[in-house]
Amino acid sequence: MVELKQVSVVYGEQHALRRVSLSVEKGEFVFLVGATGAGKSTLFKLLYGELRPTEGEVWVLGQPMHRIKPRELPYLRRRMGIVPQDYPLLPRKTVWENIAYGLRAIGYNESAVRQRVAQVLALVGLNEQARQMPNQLSGGEAQRAAIARAIANNPPLLIADEPTANLDPDTSWEIIELLMRINLRGATVIVSTHNRAIVDRACQRVVAMDRGQILSDVPRGGYPIELDRLHATVML
Amino acid sequence: MIDRLRFVLMETWESLTRNATMQAAAISTACIALILLGGAGMALYKLDATAQSLPGQFEANVFLKMSATREQALQLKAQLEAMPEIERVTLTPREVAWEQEKQKLAEDVNLADLPNPLPDKLTVRVRDPALLPAVAERIAQSPLVEEVIDSRKELQTVMELSRLVRWIGLGAGGLLLMASLILIYNTVRLTIASRQREVRVMALLGATLRSIRLPFVLEGMTQGVAGGALAATLVLIAAAFISDYFVRQWPFLRDMPPGLPPYIVIVGLPALGALMGGLCAWWATRRHVHI
Repeated sequence: MVELKQVSVVYGEQHALRRVSLSVEKGEFVFLVGATGAGKSTLFKLLYGELRPTEGEVWVLGQPMHRIKPRELPYLRRRMGIVPQDYPLLPRKTVWENIAYGLRAIGYNESAVRQRVAQVLALVGLNEQARQMPNQLSGGEAQRAAIARAIANNPPLLIADEPTANLDPDTSWEIIELLMRINLRGATVIVSTHNRAIVDRACQRVVAMDRGQILSDVPRGGYPIELDRLHATVML
Repeated sequence: MIDRLRFVLMETWESLTRNATMQAAAISTACIALILLGGAGMALYKLDATAQSLPGQFEANVFLKMSATREQALQLKAQLEAMPEIERVTLTPREVAWEQEKQKLAEDVNLADLPNPLPDKLTVRVRDPALLPAVAERIAQSPLVEEVIDSRKELQTVMELSRLVRWIGLGAGGLLLMASLILIYNTVRLTIASRQREVRVMALLGATLRSIRLPFVLEGMTQGVAGGALAATLVLIAAAFISDYFVRQWPFLRDMPPGLPPYIVIVGLPALGALMGGLCAWWATRRHVHI
């Protein structure tokens, strides 16, 4: 489903990723954890083609992202659900319009749009908020709306960048539960976070990153102790 | 297909209504540039048509001396017809010319009892207007010729005016056209910046580059069409007023050939505006919209 082989990304003289190799199989739920600057966002950008590796290979859904042609990229992205950390929702559109916008942008007709929006709103539990503007939503509701938009096209791969950032613990857990439900329906889910509590509670595969490298990769576990030790060292 | 079109048009409309001040600036600059270009185009067309219609461009009137006999006049006619530069020579006998003159002035003055003051006249038509000065000069040297009159001076004035209009129109219009191109480019660039979220969301959801760029290109085209339509309206109104004023001042201008047909201005300026707006917007999206 996703495979990185000896991938490095270099900005000037700065290594954002250094010889990273990672493989995610179909149906997996993976937490990508690490402090700010660890390389999580860079890795995500490689997955959805916003960035190309300086060296190495990136394979997503069987396609070589490291040498994909720009005209092929949109069609591949339609098979991914992406929840970006920035710009989660369009502020001038209602929840319903936000979700419909994405479907219209990729060519869905109006009857299909109405049908799919209704389905995903029910899935994320936002039926009552459908006509609300983003500024009328709570943080958790906004994040659920962003997830709804990302999965509206029923993609086999869902990538969520810090979906629990700035959310309280209960709401964060609701979001992770929703992502796990989507995973149970068959989608492969990769979530970046530095929220220790939800990682410990979810007990899924955890890939820890630090300074552009993979520090550990645990099939089922909690927030890695290595990261805590590193943080402690940095604090000292 | 209709849903797709509706989506693109909605996006374009949202862009157009989001930044009203910039839109107004882009449309008005495009309008001014197109007014200058359109006005210059119309004036040039009229001047060219006038220059083409001036008989003096090809013809000279040769007035013979009163002492010249009809036989001498016919001899000179035959000599001139033999010249390779000359296409045709027509003799207007003095009595015919006098009859015509009397008829023309009959309402104002009675010339019936007056003696004929007019000489015989040869109308010489050359094959190429450029040859007219040299031919006229050679004819003037004949001892039978009193005077040679052609319309070189009038023609020259029209040509100079035409050159002036061309330079002013192309120079000022060109500069303003450049300004409006930059302004439309900048408006679209600002619109792209203000719609960065939508662009990113569309890109991440898998919209193609073409479908993301299309609303911006349509926005640029709309600005150009609006500027062009405004310019066409103003140019046609101004042309009607100016033409009316000149005809009232100099009634002989009533016989001038007609100007550019209005439908060409009505269609041409908005089309030119759409082309330049579309090109600018396309260039702006190529530089600033990426997936």
